Amino acid sequence: MTTYTSVPPTAEINATLATHKLNRRGFLKFSANGLALAFALPLIGRTDEANAALSSQDLANSYIHVSPNGTITLAFGGAEMGQGSMSGLAQIMAEELMVDWTQISVMQALANTVVSYTTGGSSAVSRRYTTLRTAGAAARELLVAAAMQETGDSNRDNFKADNAKIIYLPDTQIWWEYGELASAAAGMTLPNDLRLTNPANFRLIGKPLPRVDIPAKVDGSAKFGIDIFLPGMVFAAIKHCPTIGGTLTSTPVKPAGALAVVACTASNTRGNVIAGSKNAVAVVASNSWLAFKLAKRLSVNWTLPATTADVDSTQLLAYAQAKLVSSAALVAEPLPPTTFTPQSFAPVLEADVANTMGVPTIDATYTAPYLAHATMEVLNCTVNIMYAGDTPVSCEIWAPTQSATTVATNAALLTLLPATAITVHTTFLGGGLGRKIEQDYIWQAIQVAMAVRKPVKLTWMREEDFSHDQYRPMALTRVRAKLAGGKIQAWSYRTLSQSITAQRGRLTAGSVDSQAVEGAVHLPYTLGKYLVEWVPLDAGIPVGYWRSVGASINSFAVESMMDELATAAGIDPFTFRYNHLGNGDPRAMAVLQAADLLSSSWRKQLPAGHAWGVAIAQAFGTWVCEVVEISQPSASSLRVHRVDCVVDCGTVINPGSVEAQMQGGILHALNATLWGEATFKAGVATKLNFNNSRVMRLGEMPAVRVQIMPSTNAPSGIGEPGVPPLAPALANAYARLGGIRIRKLPFFPNATMGGL
Amino acid sequence: MISLNVNGNNYNVDVDPATPLLWVLRDVLGLTGTKYGCGIEVCGACTVMIDGQREPSCVFDVSSAIGKKVVTIEGLSADRSHPVQKAWIKHQVPQCGYCQSGMIMACAAAMKAGHFGNEILSEMNHICICGTYSRIKDAVGEL
Ligand code: FES
Ligand code: FES
Repeated sequence: MTTYTSVPPTAEINATLATHKLNRRGFLKFSANGLALAFALPLIGRTDEANAALSSQDLANSYIHVSPNGTITLAFGGAEMGQGSMSGLAQIMAEELMVDWTQISVMQALANTVVSYTTGGSSAVSRRYTTLRTAGAAARELLVAAAMQETGDSNRDNFKADNAKIIYLPDTQIWWEYGELASAAAGMTLPNDLRLTNPANFRLIGKPLPRVDIPAKVDGSAKFGIDIFLPGMVFAAIKHCPTIGGTLTSTPVKPAGALAVVACTASNTRGNVIAGSKNAVAVVASNSWLAFKLAKRLSVNWTLPATTADVDSTQLLAYAQAKLVSSAALVAEPLPPTTFTPQSFAPVLEADVANTMGVPTIDATYTAPYLAHATMEVLNCTVNIMYAGDTPVSCEIWAPTQSATTVATNAALLTLLPATAITVHTTFLGGGLGRKIEQDYIWQAIQVAMAVRKPVKLTWMREEDFSHDQYRPMALTRVRAKLAGGKIQAWSYRTLSQSITAQRGRLTAGSVDSQAVEGAVHLPYTLGKYLVEWVPLDAGIPVGYWRSVGASINSFAVESMMDELATAAGIDPFTFRYNHLGNGDPRAMAVLQAADLLSSSWRKQLPAGHAWGVAIAQAFGTWVCEVVEISQPSASSLRVHRVDCVVDCGTVINPGSVEAQMQGGILHALNATLWGEATFKAGVATKLNFNNSRVMRLGEMPAVRVQIMPSTNAPSGIGEPGVPPLAPALANAYARLGGIRIRKLPFFPNATMGGL
Repeated sequence: MISLNVNGNNYNVDVDPATPLLWVLRDVLGLTGTKYGCGIEVCGACTVMIDGQREPSCVFDVSSAIGKKVVTIEGLSADRSHPVQKAWIKHQVPQCGYCQSGMIMACAAAMKAGHFGNEILSEMNHICICGTYSRIKDAVGEL
């Protein structure tokens, strides 16, 4: 089978990639012991517009290499965090290159400040589909061109690429292994017609091929960031100011047993120093445990911000509730006419919708809490800076990062080294979930390495990981709707949350943060007179991208409300949705119908004490409908028996990966819906480890069935869309079970979790 | 000096005897297949076999391992040929993979104890944030 290789590309290839621009058609072809064809995968995931400014599209970040001895390597600058993107990308390229899945090896490309891309927005595979097909086809056509030159026959139809061979059709005894043509191919001109494969003839795309990274993940050999082990390395633990926004008063004295204590400057998430703010100390020791122990015991003087007392979950919620009612809103949908701003349009539209609404049939406020990521692998980063005297000469970084380019940029900022002296290795990520786009842990590790001048691995204790996250924003959403004759006549939707984009200084004042309203806009339903508004919340909790971002928050409100309305109208939840999908997306209709059918037999014969609920949502272009079955053995628990899931993600690259991502999204959403909540008291996060932040254990996992809709549409994301429909489906089932409507997540906020 | 037997090899390590075995494996011996997840015996990512029994190594003092046989994921087989590893590949279990060493070691320990099916599953009630539980159940079902 195809294997993952951790052997880095040759310096020759890397140097060429970093310094040569792509041609007009988006390729950089060069000879490097055979044929190397480099290209640029789109650089940004949707969640990271900032990188668009940092990087240039015309430098390569990925390449195909065919060596004279026939080895074929695909190198990608991206992050494999469990979503199967490394395999998915390889599968697409191998399809067009006309090689078998067993004939290639895949590796992680290195990054410097100009290459590699950010993995986010469920975009890793879907947004790179066309680029990869074209690149695979281009490499294949260069090899064909080399064969044409050898034969002197310029009729392309006389040549066939198959199984890593070019076959001369007029005399099939004449054929070449790709390796034999590799060196010559590097000198060929790329033809105009790249002969992309007809999707009807795909051999690899759409097949559940085994993933390249899995063998290394069953024998302990897969290297995550936390596994980097360098000769002579030292180990650092981080200790942040316990309160949000506090700073170090003075650097503490090095405790006995420690090798060093390093004050760390805080950065904003893009690596710019926040003026004067040292918000953490790193303790360096001979192993991580010792560093952890010394850091925990270290007594540190912190200067706490004046606002610390206000950072309290109860107060924050009360403040947000008041703001939801009293603050001016910005209209997100429908789009304001050009004579209005999102703010000036709000009162006009509100009055108009209120006119149709009259007394709403239902007026409900839904609440989603702040939420930590808690990736299974805690944050960590390894840095090795080489010095000549007191001058740094090179910097090498190993990190589980969703954004290697930003890592390299930050390294250049701190070390003042040129881009060519900086190398970033993206390791496997033990989960990313949006947390590993951020740069705080990278920034700290570089500072420690500069202070101790030894290879250093900095690891966050789990308690630091929970207490210094960049949380999913809390959101309060008030939805009012009017029913008449079983149909929605008016819909007023107002959501309030902190803006992730604004916290990163990238939101124009007076404009709507599109991520705060995703899942609430472009709904497929006919809602009559409607408006969707957003109210920015000015609270100082650090917020960040959490798997599916706004969609998980807004889908909870939208799909809970749809169910409340269905109940009020006395109409079956499926039928009620069908009735409102008249002019909507036909894909939504098809997914809903498929889920209806898939679940209909068990829904008709539910045991006593069981109930079902349904919800549908779109995120990142993918439609997902989930139907859950629950029962409640006790007041403080819920048993989720099964989840039926139907997904339409356009063209499917690897159905096995789609299924796994749906299973994973469902589990992640179950954790969030039932128990997930970050709470704060006097400025300090109160949930510090899994013991008081309960998650589902293996034995509790419901039976999950995933049905994938066949489609020839462009591929869309799979990493995140499994999350949003679960919370409302569960709340809808719960309401049907005992008549209690849960509008505030999580279901069981005080749950704890015992030991193994 | 503390003498350890890990995966059939003898090592002498110079650490505080209270150091958890997990960190000796990872930071001293460089056997990084065993993972840190919570440090408080809740998640199972650090599970190894000690004299054939599953143990969370994050709370197991290295000095308590003296005279015992420690097996980590690296020592389960030389070539991914252990039945658990084969089943994991066949069912394409890992996603990010971070919890999987612990899952596999707990599963292997339960098998060694002669357990089957649900008995095995109840002894590997770990945390996987990626949600590989469904496939783990499938894989264990055929062991
Ligand atoms: S790290 Fe040992 S149980 Fe979690
Ligand atoms: S596979 Fe990622 S935590 Fe289990």
